Amino acid sequence: MATQIVMDHTGDTRHQFDPADAGAVAEAERCFKELTGAGFTAAMRLGDGKSKVLKSFDPTAEETLFIPRLQGG
Amino acid sequence: MTWAQLCGDLCVALSACASVMFVIVTAERMRDPTLEAEQKAHALLRAWLSPEQAQQYNSQKHFDVIGSDTRTRYRIRHGRMVNIDQLDSAGNRVCVLCVVPEGNLAASDCMLAQKIALETFETKALAIANQRPA
Repeated sequence: MATQIVMDHTGDTRHQFDPADAGAVAEAERCFKELTGAGFTAAMRLGDGKSKVLKSFDPTAEETLFIPRLQGG
Repeated sequence: MTWAQLCGDLCVALSACASVMFVIVTAERMRDPTLEAEQKAHALLRAWLSPEQAQQYNSQKHFDVIGSDTRTRYRIRHGRMVNIDQLDSAGNRVCVLCVVPEGNLAASDCMLAQKIALETFETKALAIANQRPA
């Protein structure tokens, strides 16, 4: 199962989907576009503390984290 | 009562309801994150830290990251705002940075967002951040 993690005021909200299920992948891609379109940054965990920003949906990403838009504090 | 008066009263009532709803929603969003939110965010942060960063955070309540573009070292202290120290090559604090994700997020979520930002899109993050002298 792959997981999309959205940071929010509850800590985070998670959506799991089966990468082998075409319908679930399409829904996950729709969520990806909706969130990044709203200003969220999508990042994929690479392991050992490393990560990379995803500019487009990656159906092979086991864990994608969505970070709300950054602002100066 | 005329239709005009009725419509006027209705508008006033709707406006009052909207104001009350706005206050309720704003208050909910401004409320400090719950303990449960902090715990979830803490677990998420732990999963994304390197072993060295996790060890540093365990013992000192902060961890260091290296900027993706300039290779500058930053120290992210536990907190939600004004919690990033830019360090020089000797480890001295040069300035304090503040860049946070929108929303009322738990401290660990803010720290994870700061880590990913500095480690993957440092220049963009610095352009957003507010900077204060050390």
